[in-house]
Amino acid sequence: MRRILVLGTALTVAGGLSACSVGDQTGGGGQSGGSGASGSKEITFLVFETDNLTPKFWDDNIARVSKKVGVTVKKIVAPGDRTAYAKQLLASGQFPDVQIGLQDLPSFDNGGNLATFGDSELSQFLCPKCSAIKGRTVQLPANTQTWQVFYRKSLFQKAGISAPPKTYAELLADAAALKGKGIQPFVIGGNPSWGSSLPWTGTLTTDLYAADPEWMHQRREGSTKFDSPEFLKATQKFADLAAKGYLNKKDLGQSYDASQAAFLDGKGAMYPMGSWFAAASDASKAKDDIGIFAWPADDGSFHLPSFTGGGLSVNAKSPNVDLAKKFALAWQTDKDYLDTSAVADALFPAIKGYTLPAKDGTVFKAVYDLYREAVDQKATVPAFGWEQGDDGMIAGMPDKWNLTAQDIITGKKTPKQAAGYLDTEWDKSS
Amino acid sequence: MVSDVATRPRAPRAAGRTRHRRSRGVWPRVWHFLSFGAPGVLIYVCFVLVPIAVSFGYSLTNYNPFNPPTRFVGLRNYQLMLQDDAFLTSLRITTILTAIVVIVPNVLGLGIAVLLDRRGWLYNALRGVFFTPMVLSSVVISVIWTRMLQDDGPVNQVLRALGVQDPPGWLSDPDIALYSLATVLCWQMLGFCVVIYLAGLSGVPKELMEAAAIDGAGPVRRFWRVTWPMLAPALTVNTVVLLISAFKIFDHVQVMTQGGPGTGSTATIAFLAIQTAFVDNHQGYASAEAVAMLVVIAALTAVSLAVLRRREIDQ
Repeated sequence: MRRILVLGTALTVAGGLSACSVGDQTGGGGQSGGSGASGSKEITFLVFETDNLTPKFWDDNIARVSKKVGVTVKKIVAPGDRTAYAKQLLASGQFPDVQIGLQDLPSFDNGGNLATFGDSELSQFLCPKCSAIKGRTVQLPANTQTWQVFYRKSLFQKAGISAPPKTYAELLADAAALKGKGIQPFVIGGNPSWGSSLPWTGTLTTDLYAADPEWMHQRREGSTKFDSPEFLKATQKFADLAAKGYLNKKDLGQSYDASQAAFLDGKGAMYPMGSWFAAASDASKAKDDIGIFAWPADDGSFHLPSFTGGGLSVNAKSPNVDLAKKFALAWQTDKDYLDTSAVADALFPAIKGYTLPAKDGTVFKAVYDLYREAVDQKATVPAFGWEQGDDGMIAGMPDKWNLTAQDIITGKKTPKQAAGYLDTEWDKSS
Repeated sequence: MVSDVATRPRAPRAAGRTRHRRSRGVWPRVWHFLSFGAPGVLIYVCFVLVPIAVSFGYSLTNYNPFNPPTRFVGLRNYQLMLQDDAFLTSLRITTILTAIVVIVPNVLGLGIAVLLDRRGWLYNALRGVFFTPMVLSSVVISVIWTRMLQDDGPVNQVLRALGVQDPPGWLSDPDIALYSLATVLCWQMLGFCVVIYLAGLSGVPKELMEAAAIDGAGPVRRFWRVTWPMLAPALTVNTVVLLISAFKIFDHVQVMTQGGPGTGSTATIAFLAIQTAFVDNHQGYASAEAVAMLVVIAALTAVSLAVLRRREIDQ
């Protein structure tokens, strides 16, 4: 009996002490480095799931690309916000070997956590320095996304509107006409908070970035502030949309899924959203009733917010960094992956020589055509709140900016107060 | 005499045996402690005390895993915190939420427990109904209530059917969202209070109630003079558990409002600490917020326990 007690105690103490010991905090590799079932090296890959990017989407693509590269891939699905989750993994020494679509890249890069892709590795990419940090590409600039306004043609007709607005005055007139007919002009979401700020991205596109695409760089340098005339003008436009009731305050209680469903169910006429919404539009019964237009400027000039980046990044401290990079590059240039991501999530591959698959999707085609038109006219500008790397806000600010949009919508903050708050928070965060 | 002879030589042997027993008695106790107590102590040390100590250590630094090097900053994080609008607002929000969650389920739970303190299958079933939210995951409850409280959700549909033209934005109005959150928490914690009060009610001697009735006390007087004092321990348990649960609330906020709408509406201290640590990357400062939360909870719990236990003794 005593022997059993002694043995049990010894095991408990040993187990307890080992639990207390500090693990490897280098952030390198997570659970990588092992050998897969087939004897090949194993790497970990952080992904995220949405309505468009289903488990099957990831599993099929991982199976194909990993076979091509000769690596075993362990999929890690972010339970919520992928960037916050990646930070938690990094802080606990479990940063995956490969990640997709990370935001707040400068924070990850600060500690030397992201591997740099060289020029030769980026030869197939259309914009190799998009989202770069101090000239270094740490996230493959694989896809382009755009932001536009989706609208319901039948609701426009019901309000006597024959064509989508070309100028901001027309947009206001259309919104007034829709409201007059009892139709909610805009549908927005509230949870996650970025669903509320998309109209603000629109006004900042036409009134800030169209005139000065380098504005964010100047803000990072401290040579301009949010409390500047051009930022305030765009913010006032956004606040006016809320004050006139064109943005429904009650939508702030709405999830992303609910806001999408509300628009597809015809509960609102206009839906400012990213290009990925094209996939859900084409899958819905309302697909033939949905049109798109770019957020209009006062003078009717054409500007389209876009972002190129969002691809795979590699843990610089991974024991298999070369293999991880090989997998990342193979993934981003795999024709089947590019086709499926374009179809499933309306990601426009920014790869040389790539052509989109023939797709039976009227909304997808309209979104892509608008993007091509913007490229041809050199009318693309950064998408405020969605920029990355040196083009984006500093860590923590995008969330505060999104929440500030909600304060403006509810009338809790005036544009001036919102700008002051953002400047204060920026100074605190930097 | 025979007995004397019989007992005399035994005495020193008995004393020696006692000494032997004492010397033998220590080691089994040590072994028993090590085998039964040590696992719990080790787990507590590893997963409670060590993390608290590490957090306190971090709170004295500017630790940002994305912006090395880490420097010792003393109490600067605590000084900054006392001037930080976001922290002070989250402290106010958390205090309001805690006050509601401590008071409402306690009051309603007592009333329901008194009503359910009867025998019969119906009462047993009702006890199960009230306790069900308590055993459900907070995330599941939050998802269900988020759907219920959406603008076109069941709650507003009922209100519209009753003729309310413009029902409230339960989660979208910054003036209401906190109270919606508190309502969901109260709903979830109600079953716990009911069960604790029912346990307390079962311990009230029937003789006391009968004696009070014979003395002419009516139902209300019997409740306040006999039942309520006997429920003092149940009140202590409920108050302390609700206080701790409410003050560290995170999951409901994360799922239902994400701290919004806007800034400073429903961001509790726990939510703010997570945001500060894993969105803003200021883990040193976030640790200070977490330590402050721990200190406030410990202080409030200590005060509550002192007051409520004194009441138990007085009764």
